[in-house]
Amino acid sequence: MTWLTVAGADVTVELHDREPMLSGLFRSGYAYRVGCKRGGCGICKVDLVEGAVDYPVTVSDEVLAPDERAAGVCLSCRAVPVTDSVIRLREDDRLRCVAPFLAAAVRGGSSGNSSVQKGKD
Amino acid sequence: MGVMRLGYVHTRVTDLEESRKHYVDTLGMRVVAEEPGKLFLKAWDEYDHHSVVLEEGGVGLVKLGYKCRTPDDIAAFENRIQSFGAVTERMSKGENLSVGDGIRVVLPSEHVLELYSEIDVVGTETGSLNPDPFPRHLVGVGVPRIDHTLVTCEDPATLERFFAECLDFKPSERVVTGLDRDADLIGSWMFCTNTPHDIAFIKGPNGKLHHFAYWLNDWNEIRHAGDLFAMDDVSVDVGPTRHGITRGETIYFFDPSGNRNEVFSGGYITYPDFPTITWTPDQLAKGIFYISRELNERFTTVLT
Repeated sequence: MTWLTVAGADVTVELHDREPMLSGLFRSGYAYRVGCKRGGCGICKVDLVEGAVDYPVTVSDEVLAPDERAAGVCLSCRAVPVTDSVIRLREDDRLRCVAPFLAAAVRGGSSGNSSVQKGKD
Repeated sequence: MGVMRLGYVHTRVTDLEESRKHYVDTLGMRVVAEEPGKLFLKAWDEYDHHSVVLEEGGVGLVKLGYKCRTPDDIAAFENRIQSFGAVTERMSKGENLSVGDGIRVVLPSEHVLELYSEIDVVGTETGSLNPDPFPRHLVGVGVPRIDHTLVTCEDPATLERFFAECLDFKPSERVVTGLDRDADLIGSWMFCTNTPHDIAFIKGPNGKLHHFAYWLNDWNEIRHAGDLFAMDDVSVDVGPTRHGITRGETIYFFDPSGNRNEVFSGGYITYPDFPTITWTPDQLAKGIFYISRELNERFTTVLT
């Protein structure tokens, strides 16, 4: 079990065992810009600020180039944090809280929730 | 003479076994042959050997095959294509499993198109003698056949001219920047059969796949497919809804590698004298997703 924090939004969610970042954030009531959710388009890329990730499912080098991966770019639909991790969304994207009741139920996310809900949506 | 139909779609997938679950267990295609790293699949109402080829390694389109009536047709197309200025090469029997001689064309949009007239005919699952209307033990959605593809290109006008001048396709519907004579083409839906489209293209990067589609009989089957997508955790893009363009009913969804698929039903019949329908940009959202009249950003950005 690991914790995933979105820097800037100051939101932290708990991930299930072997759960990709995208899945954990959406399950916890948050949304951001995503595409196919199957590793094919690269729309949901985020930057890893802290931590480490694994890719249990094969990811195409055309979508996530090896040098990008080495630089900490994550394909969030497929990237599974193996330690507590911090990510940052792309500059032109932002985390939105789409289900406040779900977000409120997530331990550790409360400090950031209110500002996301009130300030940015 | 002419191009008879979309014969096969050959795409790349990141994981062949995950893809097998999607295309066989969820969509209901049958594996007709396997090579190392490749699956050849067929839907139940198709006569020819295969209609989808999955190749492990990467994502996106390898090539499209369109079946022509005769070798003479292909020779005539080859002349026209060379005059048009596109690159062609001869393709020999056996280069593609079960497929005969033909030509391979690099389109102005950088997509690879193969034209062939011979492929093993193995027949549908209901046969051609006193057939039942459908096979008794379909799996999942039980798609009967592939229907069309949509690809992106930097210059839709040139690609439309290629398909019209070289291969006798006709546009059923066009999206233009305006109604003046010098308006630009944003997208074109073209037919060689009597469906609303056998291929379509919209403005975007060259060489990319937007989606390939399977035919379903009606709106109820579209909903049933959607139910199965929920059960099998298929990533759904849009739908069920209707397109303004083609009038078809649809769900867009993604295979396990992120290649977009569609289940498509309805639409109208086209003829050689079908008058082309025109859409203007202010109504484009309605043209693409008729009911919501909103384009999501994935429609134009998610390509493989």
